Amino acid sequence: MNRMIQCVSLMLSLCLLLASAGGFAAAEGVVDGDLTCTITLGNWPPDTASAAEKALFEGYRDTMARQYPNVTLVPDYYSYTLSNYVPMAKGGTAPTIFQPPFTDPQLLISQHLVGDVTEALEKFGVLDKFSPSYVEMLADENGRIYGLPRDGYVLGMHLNLALFREAGLMTEDGLPMYPKTLQELAEYGQIIREKTGKAGLVFPASETYGGWLFTNIAWNFGCVGESALEYQDEDGRWVCNFTSPECVAAMEYMRDLRWKYDILNVDATTTDWAGAHSLLGTGEAAMNFAADDSVDQPTSNKGLPVEDFALIPFPAGPAGRYALAGGTCYMFAPDITADQAVAAMAYLKILGKLPFLDDDIIAGMRADYAAKRDRGAPVLPAISAWNDAEYNSAKQAIVDEYCNVDMRLYSDFFDSLSGGTISLKSEEPVFAQQLYRELTAVIQRVITREGADIVKALQKAQDSFQEYLDDEINDY
Amino acid sequence: MSAGKESRIRTHARLRENVTSWLIMVPGLLLMLFFVWEPLFESVRMSLYKTRNVELVRFIGLDNFVSVVSKDDFMQALVNTFSYTFWSLLLGFGLPVLLAILINETTRGKGLFRTAVYLPNMLPGLAVIILWSAFFSGGKSGVLNILIGRLGIPPQSYLTRSEWVIPIIILIATWKGAGATALIYMAGMAGISPELYEAAAIDGATVRQRVFHILLPAVRKLAGTLLILQIISVFQIMYEPMVLTKGGPDNASLSLMQLMWQYAFGGSMNYGKASAVAVIVTLILLVMTAIYSFFNRRESDWE
Repeated sequence: MNRMIQCVSLMLSLCLLLASAGGFAAAEGVVDGDLTCTITLGNWPPDTASAAEKALFEGYRDTMARQYPNVTLVPDYYSYTLSNYVPMAKGGTAPTIFQPPFTDPQLLISQHLVGDVTEALEKFGVLDKFSPSYVEMLADENGRIYGLPRDGYVLGMHLNLALFREAGLMTEDGLPMYPKTLQELAEYGQIIREKTGKAGLVFPASETYGGWLFTNIAWNFGCVGESALEYQDEDGRWVCNFTSPECVAAMEYMRDLRWKYDILNVDATTTDWAGAHSLLGTGEAAMNFAADDSVDQPTSNKGLPVEDFALIPFPAGPAGRYALAGGTCYMFAPDITADQAVAAMAYLKILGKLPFLDDDIIAGMRADYAAKRDRGAPVLPAISAWNDAEYNSAKQAIVDEYCNVDMRLYSDFFDSLSGGTISLKSEEPVFAQQLYRELTAVIQRVITREGADIVKALQKAQDSFQEYLDDEINDY
Repeated sequence: MSAGKESRIRTHARLRENVTSWLIMVPGLLLMLFFVWEPLFESVRMSLYKTRNVELVRFIGLDNFVSVVSKDDFMQALVNTFSYTFWSLLLGFGLPVLLAILINETTRGKGLFRTAVYLPNMLPGLAVIILWSAFFSGGKSGVLNILIGRLGIPPQSYLTRSEWVIPIIILIATWKGAGATALIYMAGMAGISPELYEAAAIDGATVRQRVFHILLPAVRKLAGTLLILQIISVFQIMYEPMVLTKGGPDNASLSLMQLMWQYAFGGSMNYGKASAVAVIVTLILLVMTAIYSFFNRRESDWE
């Protein structure tokens, strides 16, 4: 497991700065201009979207019409959830391209609910540039590819600097004295609560969010390798392991955050992902476990000025420094044809999601970054999913043109990735959502009942999830 | 005309009449068959199978039921669902009757009050939940906390306390739904003969006496029907806890229907177990309805 962690870490870090594989080249000529088919595009901006966003997508459509006049694009407002997708896939009405989070691809692939696009990727010559960590998430056991990363993210912490300032936790240089460890997080959070009366940390402990964030804390307490939250035994059976001393210690830390340091937001059990961003953005909380891909949530969406916002690395725990690397991907309808797969790749290439840069793509990126800057969202370098150094550095140059923030407030986060001071980890390998749900229930118990028996609660969750694993995978 | 011929003519006439009736019913029956009975049958069938998303993999008998029932969260959801029903009857059964009586006894502005009590019912369900979540928000910006803050009481946390969440959810549901039920009671009260009131007035009956001896007996049967409808409705409560508390804290507001949703769409896509929960809910409701019908029929027989 440690080897896998190192691998993921290395690959993503390489993606950012060090990869040397191949250069980027225009894909012109790989696709027949007479390609004729119709593709449906999920996640088209709704009528309520900003004018800039709508114009951006109309621009993509115009480019596609110019390059492939016989490909008909059908915009669809469809937004993926597992519950709404399954009936559509079974009924043959799923959009050609849709965007699930990285928790779902393996489930969708195993259930034969998505289409294979390996040949189309080969046609564009990008198959070998795919970061192995993403191949692991988007391919089946035979190496067939069913998806493409839309954007990757790494979990860190969002800070509301206005509250840090009020609590006296700023240096003379205007930088936050932020927590480097989970212990410091508790202590700094306490200072903030005492000085400002606001929550030191917002922790969304509802549905699956609590468990999702808790896995990161657990890794930092040592729930990796032989103490992982779930692992395969010698017989290949999946085993749930919530009652390890490391996991118990991590849950005790959660209890301390609530009952010893009292730094959590008051309605943690009803707070979801959006609610957490809202609390940070509106100054009700000073810190939030969140990633680089959601920096527009507290800022442009909730009104926090970019100069009052910072992104820091995930705090280290007693057993290491780990953070989740995940993201959103593009996947394809199960009945996608070969022509549709090629057309879909051509469209994603125009969106800049394949490792090619041409005038249209650069124009698209510029429009995207300009739109971000205009709406008050931080313009930051994206974590690339491609092992293509030339492509990655060319993109970085464009980001630099539009950068609207003091990069000192972000540099530790990005340096931790490129410098390898943080180990990146993908989500727990099987049935992550169900695992998160079980752990969320334990967190809710622990933060709402001071005397909750942590071991007993974890044992109960472990039994439940083990039964689930047996039912769904071990005894299937 | 012979008796036989007359009988045949009568039979034909009845048949013609019935054919027309059946033809009128056919579209409704087809829709019922397609949208109600077929999914119901399919759900029962699915509950007996191992499933891969909506596909049936193999017949496993009652295994899904055994697996679902043996889990702690099912028992918790079952207890919660009965708790929802209890609180709903406690908070929400008498209130519409009271509202109907008050409006019925009002001599001026009856239309205004009727509209006022019905108004919450016109709001979208999710909007109501979001509105009330701001009211019960635990921070200093929560509306209720601002109000009690004026009385010098420190901010409280409401939706994170397991003993409070179900009454709060029922309070919200009652706020939204009581007006509609009150209108039904008012319709029932409108059917009471005015002579009864006049006679009572001549005899010097007070408002209290009119309520207890004319109004309430007149709506008793209606109340019985609404009682069972309310139980059926509350037993299927789902979106309110799903939006307000997500079933938490620690499953304290998890309902059976929400558990069913979790099995189907909460990440596991286990439609077989979800169907098993749905079948269990249906059976419980059938039993409760049968009990009600039994007592109702016995009461009718006595009358």
